[in-house]
Amino acid sequence: MTEQSMTRAEYLQEVEPLFQDHQARLEASRCLFCYDAPCTRACPAGIDVAGFIRRLKEENAAGAAQLIFEANILGGTCGRVCPVEILCQEACSHTELSDPIQIGRLQAYAWSRGYDRLDITAPKKTSPGRVAVVGAGPAGLAAAAELARLGLGVEVFESGEGAGGVLRSGIPAYRLPEEVLQSELRLIDRLGVTFNWNREFGRNLLLDELRSAGFDAILLALGLGQSARVGIPGEELKGVFWAADLLSMIKRDPQGREELAASLGPRVVVIGGGNVAVDTACSLLRLGVAGVSLVCLEGPGEMPAFPSEVRFALEEGVELVTRSRPLRITGDEAGTVSGLEGVGIEWKEPGCFLPENAVSIPGTEFRLRADSVVEAIGQRCPRGVLETLELELTPQGLIHVDPETGQTSDPVIFAAGDMVTGGATVVQAVAGGKKAAREMYRSLEGKK
Amino acid sequence: MSRNVDLSIEFCGIRFDSPFLLAASPCTDDAEMVARAFQAGWAGAVLKTTSVEDTPVDLVYPMIVGLDHEDKRIFGLGNIDLISHHHIDVIEERIRTLKARFPDKIVAASMMAATRENWTAVARRLSRAGADLIECSFSCPQGTLGSKPGFMLGQDPELAGEVTGWVKEGAGPTPVVIKITPQVADIVEVAQAVKEGGADGICASNTIPSLMGIDLETFEPYPRVDGKSTYSGLSGPAIKPITLRVIAEIARHVGIPITGTGGASDWRDAAEFMLVGARTVQFCTAPMHYGYRIIDHLKDGLERYLRSKGMQAAGELVGRSLTHLVNHEELSRTKKVVSRIDSRLCIKDDLCYLACRDGGHQAIELGEDRIPIMDEEKCVGCGLCLSVCPVPGCLRLEEVSREKAPAEDNSE
Repeated sequence: MTEQSMTRAEYLQEVEPLFQDHQARLEASRCLFCYDAPCTRACPAGIDVAGFIRRLKEENAAGAAQLIFEANILGGTCGRVCPVEILCQEACSHTELSDPIQIGRLQAYAWSRGYDRLDITAPKKTSPGRVAVVGAGPAGLAAAAELARLGLGVEVFESGEGAGGVLRSGIPAYRLPEEVLQSELRLIDRLGVTFNWNREFGRNLLLDELRSAGFDAILLALGLGQSARVGIPGEELKGVFWAADLLSMIKRDPQGREELAASLGPRVVVIGGGNVAVDTACSLLRLGVAGVSLVCLEGPGEMPAFPSEVRFALEEGVELVTRSRPLRITGDEAGTVSGLEGVGIEWKEPGCFLPENAVSIPGTEFRLRADSVVEAIGQRCPRGVLETLELELTPQGLIHVDPETGQTSDPVIFAAGDMVTGGATVVQAVAGGKKAAREMYRSLEGKK
Repeated sequence: MSRNVDLSIEFCGIRFDSPFLLAASPCTDDAEMVARAFQAGWAGAVLKTTSVEDTPVDLVYPMIVGLDHEDKRIFGLGNIDLISHHHIDVIEERIRTLKARFPDKIVAASMMAATRENWTAVARRLSRAGADLIECSFSCPQGTLGSKPGFMLGQDPELAGEVTGWVKEGAGPTPVVIKITPQVADIVEVAQAVKEGGADGICASNTIPSLMGIDLETFEPYPRVDGKSTYSGLSGPAIKPITLRVIAEIARHVGIPITGTGGASDWRDAAEFMLVGARTVQFCTAPMHYGYRIIDHLKDGLERYLRSKGMQAAGELVGRSLTHLVNHEELSRTKKVVSRIDSRLCIKDDLCYLACRDGGHQAIELGEDRIPIMDEEKCVGCGLCLSVCPVPGCLRLEEVSREKAPAEDNSE
């Protein structure tokens, strides 16, 4: 073990420990409690931020959690995974006086102290209809909870064996402990939502089937299931992985995760500059991989990963190889990964960080030794699923919806989440799910 | 360039090397502690109150409860302490020891008694022991000696004047200061009575009878002494405005030297006490919270302040604000002020808008950029918006000519 790896954090060690009671009260006391608070306006899920902070200050954590819960069923999760520095905290008026209020940490605290004391009234049975939600990721869960609270019968169909989507299988446990998601899923259960597992849309779950089963409206919230390929030579070698698969295996296998990391070898190269690439690199370091390099096209300030995530990666000991284009994954005689070759780039047009705008700089070719390579350049909607739906698509190949309502070109079918946005934050998925849910309710109410 | 400023000040014929002394309290109930305070630079100390009654002083614990305000601890401090549990023999010995070691520091003794004989006898003993000053507690809210529960001598002007005379009999040449309570209907009447009784000065004032709070889990009030509680004496920053009023009232209406105490935490508070008439300022809660070391900052702050005001001596501050103080009916009604905003400083919390809407005159509207817009027609200049704005200088009251103003608003 190197000296550096001796001091590394454990995989499960939380990045930001929960506030203790007195710390939360102290932090909440700094809040100005603005009129028409900018933090509240900046929250995609519409949480009454100033309100819940006020309740924390008054040592009413259950009341604070209630405000969070009413706006965001995944409020505990979002308190931990939201990019607050570009949302609520960026809007915080207190920034002008000293530092913004640590809203994310206060939200995580409120949830942890109050989620088990929420007032959840069983919805009245004045249902204007039954609704199917396809996909149990953040958008699907937020929609299901909202629909259930509005009094509709909700059934969720999920391809896997558990709910959460990226929360369940993507976001590392050091950022989102399993029990936070579980607490939120229990609330959704209490709202009376029914779940159907192992129902993969397009395979053993078809749209016509849902229509004929008598659902009055259908929400598609499948997410992006398929990892994008970089498309360079060597991707077929033994030792090439896709980040989503790897993160899922790590998250879902507490017993086997260290063994899995060890099997990757001492040197791993991750390709990609987004949050998933950072999550992968940091997870592997925390699980004992000796050295992890992250190779991406963008410079440090240009990466799509949140600035806080990039800082975190550097603190954790990830080697950043930026403004670099991977050219080929090299292998040995046995067909196993031996390294990655790449070249430095510059941007043709300044400020446009897309692959087609990158120009290789001759003479800057490099080679990194690697025992495994992980590709983390994003996800796409699985091929073949959208095409069969006969719904209008966007030029990017995403489902086209009315941005105000989430309604697709088929008035009975709505869509939300990453398959509409192409990949965004958890809280944006929640916001999309909620919006679609309300519109579905409204459209069914109108039909009554 | 710095000119020398004289921090020393005279009070009751005694010169203090600065206006800052320690009040009768746990801070002054031990000779070594007081010695350390003198070494740290305090001008004097009022030793914790002594007496000669037969019953031993029976203290209870816990005796101290803090009152927090949001993120700040000890906005106020409540205590159910009593007088010193040390015998008067010990106090006499302390006076002698401290005076021998620190001849230039002021050692004041605080006393109380239950009978005429004892008021006189204790004063005599303290005077003979060499106390520079005798302070009489007519105002400890708890543990009153020999009278009805909760009663303070300082609440009966006639009795207060009479007892002052008894003390003077025993005190001989030693000046006598009476420590009064703010918990009276007419502070002037009491001050006048003790002055007529022969007091050389007044200590204004003391802690305020209070109930410090309730434990919401157990329903027991604080401090909790084996499931029961009682009323506390409240000190600390929370009571400063009350003390200021008491000092000002006495200074305006009774010609008698005042030592101020109750809620001063720093040199700024002390300067305010002096500006309304105090010659010296006694500290208790602040050194109990932050230690004797605060004396450095008290002296430095006051010295620089005096210099900045072109004053040579601390005494020049005394009573300077009193000419600005009148009764409500004498306040000007002829000038109109309105609130104006420096929008460059606005941080868009819009608390002023909310305050004016729900606690004022709906004189503030919000622009599209969230910057408040003042309606000078509606604004009566009440000052609430300035109080809620977290940015100093963002809002200010400015005089407008009365002629231009609309019909007078008589709603208040």
